[in-house]
Amino acid sequence: MSLGLETMAPCFQGIVPAMFFTCDTEGIPNAAFLSHVDYVDPTHVALSFQFFNKSRRNISENPYALVRVIDPDTHQGYALRLKYARSETSGPLFDRMFLRIEAIASYTGLKGIFKLKAADIYEVESVDLVPEQPGVKERWSPRSRVRQENAVFTMKAMQEMSARINTADSLESLLESILSGLKEHLGFSHSMILLAGEKPGTLVTIASRGYPQRGAGAEVKFGDGIIGVSAEAQKPIRISGLLRGMLHARAVAMRAMEAGWSPDREVPLPGLENPESQLGVPLVVRGELIGVLCIESETPYRFHEDDKVTIEMLGSHLAVAIQSMQLRESEDAMATPRAVAPPPAAPSRSGSHREVTYYRGEEVLMVDGEYLIRSLPARILWKLLTTKKREGRSEFTNRELRLDKSLKLPDYKDNLETRLLLLRRRLEEKGPDIRMVQKGRGRFALEVGCEIDLVEKA
Amino acid sequence: MLDKILTEFLEQGLAIHIGTRDARLRPNGCMVTAVRVEDEGRQLVAFIPKAVTPAVFDDLRSNGRAALSFTRPSDDKAVQVKGEFVSEADVSEADEAFAKQQWGGFLNQLDLIGLPAKATSTWTLWPCVAVRIRVTALFSQTPGPEAGAVLR
Repeated sequence: MSLGLETMAPCFQGIVPAMFFTCDTEGIPNAAFLSHVDYVDPTHVALSFQFFNKSRRNISENPYALVRVIDPDTHQGYALRLKYARSETSGPLFDRMFLRIEAIASYTGLKGIFKLKAADIYEVESVDLVPEQPGVKERWSPRSRVRQENAVFTMKAMQEMSARINTADSLESLLESILSGLKEHLGFSHSMILLAGEKPGTLVTIASRGYPQRGAGAEVKFGDGIIGVSAEAQKPIRISGLLRGMLHARAVAMRAMEAGWSPDREVPLPGLENPESQLGVPLVVRGELIGVLCIESETPYRFHEDDKVTIEMLGSHLAVAIQSMQLRESEDAMATPRAVAPPPAAPSRSGSHREVTYYRGEEVLMVDGEYLIRSLPARILWKLLTTKKREGRSEFTNRELRLDKSLKLPDYKDNLETRLLLLRRRLEEKGPDIRMVQKGRGRFALEVGCEIDLVEKA
Repeated sequence: MLDKILTEFLEQGLAIHIGTRDARLRPNGCMVTAVRVEDEGRQLVAFIPKAVTPAVFDDLRSNGRAALSFTRPSDDKAVQVKGEFVSEADVSEADEAFAKQQWGGFLNQLDLIGLPAKATSTWTLWPCVAVRIRVTALFSQTPGPEAGAVLR
């Protein structure tokens, strides 16, 4: 081989579509765009097999092909002479390609249609520069964005992250520390952490960074988008050139709709309006999914294949740290005596008035007609507000909540501290007149800055 | 064979590639700078850069089989034209003006998907050879389950 495949990583990110040339046994050539050519090893590439198209039929008759790829940074074209070797329908390579396609499919309502049937593996017989597409010597920065030349998940960055994690003293500070560390040590400005939700098969946003809205409480179902697919498979997913991938998927959707197919529900993108790269890292401890870390970037080729191992390592480390902190807070809270301290003087904003309505049947809490929160956090806040009104008490402990049967906490792993953090975040975002202020380990005060009418409905 | 609507689509400035094959049925291919539909849609002229691999011209001259792929980058709408090589000729000044205008349309398409024109500034897309192809078949190639359907 004249040029090394291993030096052409940017060509295999799906940022610029590839061109695939085949020929049938009658001697009729075929030329078709390919959304993605994947690197397998120094002598093999993989092409996604999604539809029984003419190219695929040709390959089944005549295994020789030519694929042309373009380096998205230098715009140098490369011609790869290929020979079909085999198809894989399981294994790490298939999973990597399948999950990436699955995430894009869910963003475009195409689940079940836009699906990987197999990863077709080709032996690369030669690689040549395309003479009419010479590239620039220096790597070009798309839309003035600078491509990261080196892997960002360096050992030094990982050490810095570990140090942050080890010094956090609460779940809240741990989550904040992780997200700020991602920015400071790894350069990722947009990230979020979702933890396992109360309902099985769901995740709930607990912390985020870099977005106009913090999105606390936003729910993601397993299988939805990069977060849900990553959670369901318990595997990291890396997508480069997401917009290109979605454009391709939308073309498939249009064509399928013309043929009478009805699209599935489109899953909204998690944070950025136009992300080019996304990374979903499942946070797993001994096979149990704790949550998902999602990182986004507007730069097309932000996460490198080489980073896969360190990404998984980071995910494991974060998962253990989060789970340990959840357990520690839970144990600390149980050791805290019942609070009987006198209520603090809540700052009262004269004239300000809110109506808090609890819908018992749906377990939904609304403030002035606007949705605030549901399920366990809603039950907790309703309990706190009614207790405060009835007893005039403002200080509460996690322990008393945990022992309160009316709150219907699960017997095992109730994740109360996580739900309280979610509630606190949600109040900061949507109900700033009501605040939950930490007063020490397992103890907090409910501060209300306005007059509140409590309304309970069936 | 190529009606007015298809002609307008093909000539608007798209990503165009030509695929050929050698005597051993090994495929070859390259970019095409522009195309012009002629002879009431029965033929088209593909402006192929002289800089491309000689294998494409060798294939066309020896067996004449060609497949031209046309893709609009902004929505991936795509058509494939199968054809037979008829002849090749030097290009005229008028051809150059026509082809470069069409190439400009392609660059506008790239801009819509976030690839600025400067990305292709080093590519050698001119001078070209005008390769005349007789159209033998048309297929839709927009990605999806119906890709490959015969057009008219």
